[in-house]
Amino acid sequence: MDVPIEYFVLLSMALFSIGLFGILTRRNALLFLMSVEIMVNAANVNLIAFAFYHGNLTGQVFALFAMALAAAEVAIGLGIVLVLYRNFRDVDVTVPTTMRW
Amino acid sequence: MEGLFDYAPAIALFPLAAFVIALAFGPKLPKKGAIPGIVATGGSLLLSLAMLAAVAGGEEGYYHETLFTWAAGDAAGEIGTDAIEFTFGILIDPLAALMLVIVSLVAFLVHVFSLEYMNAEGETGLPRYYAGLGLFTFSMLAFVYADNLLMAFMFFELVGLCSFLLIGFWFRTRSAPSAAKKAFLVTRFGDYFFLIGVVAIAATFGTVQFAGEDSFVAAAAAAIDDGGQLFGFDAETWVTITGLLVLGGVIGKSAQFPLHTWLPDAMEGPTTVSALIHAATMVAAGVYLVARMFGYYALSPTALAIIAFVGGFTALFAATMGVVKDDIKQVLAYSTISQYGYMMLGLGVGGYVAGVFHLMNHAFFKALLFLGSGAVIVLMHHEQDMWKMGGLKDKAPVTYYTFLAGALALAGIVPFSGFWSKDEILYDALIVGLEQPLIMAAYAMGLIAVFFTGFYTFRMVFLTFHGEPRTETAEDPHSVGWAIKAPLLVLGVLATVAGLANLAPVAKLTGAEISFLEYWLDGEYGGLEALTYHSYHETVPFEEGAIGSETTTMLLGAGLSLGLALAGAFTAHALYNVPSPTRHTEKLGGAYDVLRSNYYQDEYQVWLAEGLTLPVARAADRFDQTVIDGAVDGVSSVSLFGGDRVKRIQSGIVTNYAALLVAGFIALLIVLGFLGGWFL
Repeated sequence: MDVPIEYFVLLSMALFSIGLFGILTRRNALLFLMSVEIMVNAANVNLIAFAFYHGNLTGQVFALFAMALAAAEVAIGLGIVLVLYRNFRDVDVTVPTTMRW
Repeated sequence: MEGLFDYAPAIALFPLAAFVIALAFGPKLPKKGAIPGIVATGGSLLLSLAMLAAVAGGEEGYYHETLFTWAAGDAAGEIGTDAIEFTFGILIDPLAALMLVIVSLVAFLVHVFSLEYMNAEGETGLPRYYAGLGLFTFSMLAFVYADNLLMAFMFFELVGLCSFLLIGFWFRTRSAPSAAKKAFLVTRFGDYFFLIGVVAIAATFGTVQFAGEDSFVAAAAAAIDDGGQLFGFDAETWVTITGLLVLGGVIGKSAQFPLHTWLPDAMEGPTTVSALIHAATMVAAGVYLVARMFGYYALSPTALAIIAFVGGFTALFAATMGVVKDDIKQVLAYSTISQYGYMMLGLGVGGYVAGVFHLMNHAFFKALLFLGSGAVIVLMHHEQDMWKMGGLKDKAPVTYYTFLAGALALAGIVPFSGFWSKDEILYDALIVGLEQPLIMAAYAMGLIAVFFTGFYTFRMVFLTFHGEPRTETAEDPHSVGWAIKAPLLVLGVLATVAGLANLAPVAKLTGAEISFLEYWLDGEYGGLEALTYHSYHETVPFEEGAIGSETTTMLLGAGLSLGLALAGAFTAHALYNVPSPTRHTEKLGGAYDVLRSNYYQDEYQVWLAEGLTLPVARAADRFDQTVIDGAVDGVSSVSLFGGDRVKRIQSGIVTNYAALLVAGFIALLIVLGFLGGWFL
């Protein structure tokens, strides 16, 4: 294994930026959720890469935790999307604007 | 004998118990609380007499015990070394023992007198009255044997509260509540300075004890000897300042100019209360305080001179006002102010014995005169105007002769008690005055006041008792019983013979050792080393002079004051001792209006309150309402307005929030980057 650490960081940056772009531009709640997942995985890539780089397993364990967390998050997120659809007949996140001042 | 001192706290606690009983069970008791009051004050009187005997007969001759420490702190004084402690303690030395007897005796007689003056006249609210009397007596007795300044201050305040309650006893009238409020507020004004004085003394010397090694008096004397600085002043200047602050309370309570205005109004209370207030308790408290911490004042010639001058001025000032009053109690009220002026004059010139002597004699004869006037008021069916009396001499001989004894003592006619003490005060003032012009002026005012005293006293006697009855009630007066006569007789005898306690002029002439009070206060029969007349006299910084020899000076002074008193009495005799006396006041012209209006003292004080204090208070209120409140309101309205604008970024659209989050994160990153030096 002799891929330099910079490539992993670049990959992670690219994934994170893709996810961020998705959140800022998309209006569909499902795409929102996917973008968030991409960002979480960007972080996971970083964790594993640096764990490998330092020869320390803690980062990998953390990545496992983060995946479990992401799974739980998706479950809740999908639940919210479902409720959103029931109430508004739509999954557009800009439609429910009543939760504000 | 020494074991007796252990019962000292009971002297004050008896009346306190009477207060509680009268308050709790008063309405159910046969005499509405009078009996517990009489028993309690009688018990206090007996115990006080026992204290007197114990002081005289004991080995140490004094009792000084701390009973309860309720706050102890670090050494905080400017020069004090010990930790400051606030305690309740008892100090019984010759002065306190003497005063305890006077107070409990007068309180006892007033209670007895009340049986007829209040109970028999069918007053309502008697339990309240007796509770007030009990609390009043308790406060005064505790004040008298207080061993430190803070305890004295607390009971001083309690005395003021009780006077408020009792002066306003007939609270359904218009005038009594107003008089009670006035008495409370005016004396409180003085007490404010007293409080500052207490704090200043505690902060300077780290102790508020009156007596002993660690007293503030000893500390002050040591500080003056060291010649150091206290709070940036000379030690002596600082002692003067703190002494004068405490004197503020004295001037308020003892009704000295300019805070005397409450006292004449206080006549709205029952006459028995007036007797208690004026003879033994409230008003006496002020002068007693000066005597109690006389060692402190003796360190400061300035403070002494001020005390003497205020006293002399008040003596004359009040006496002139007493001349034109028609109400028998008003005349007595002004005479009280005037007589306390004499005591202040006596103490101010270093005549400690003379001042205390007059305090004692005055307590007897003024209690007698007030109770006598109470008897007259009963005789006259609650008429107080002297012009409606007359001819009571034959109808009430006991009242007349006892009242006459009191009047002779008040006017200072030999050999009644008032003569001896007043003469001693004037003699002390004269010998100091020969060296000090300011004291001479005070002496001169005191001397002139003797004439007025003689005049108004006998004007009162002649108008009340002599001549033809001027109204129907005066022709057929109400009768008085033993409860009125007995206290009058006791006090009448005392007012006549109390002078025997200190016949200083006779002692000087004959060489006989009969100035007992001087020996008593000098600690010859027992007492504390530093609290004797002798040690005070050495501290007092005044030179003494004499006209010719000491004896000539004394005889000259005595002759002068006696002559003036007699002149006053005979003027009153010529003008008013006729079958149908007429008013002579209009002959005074413009002076009459000034005197009748009490030198416009009330008017100017009301003006001070309404014309000066009220606008200042209004301005302060406006400042508070606009500037302070404006600043506070401004802060809140800016927050409100800002919040109203800022909340608009909450659009409810998740994308906007995400964008804001990212923008904020980027901004933070850039700021941290700049601070961390990335871009440099």
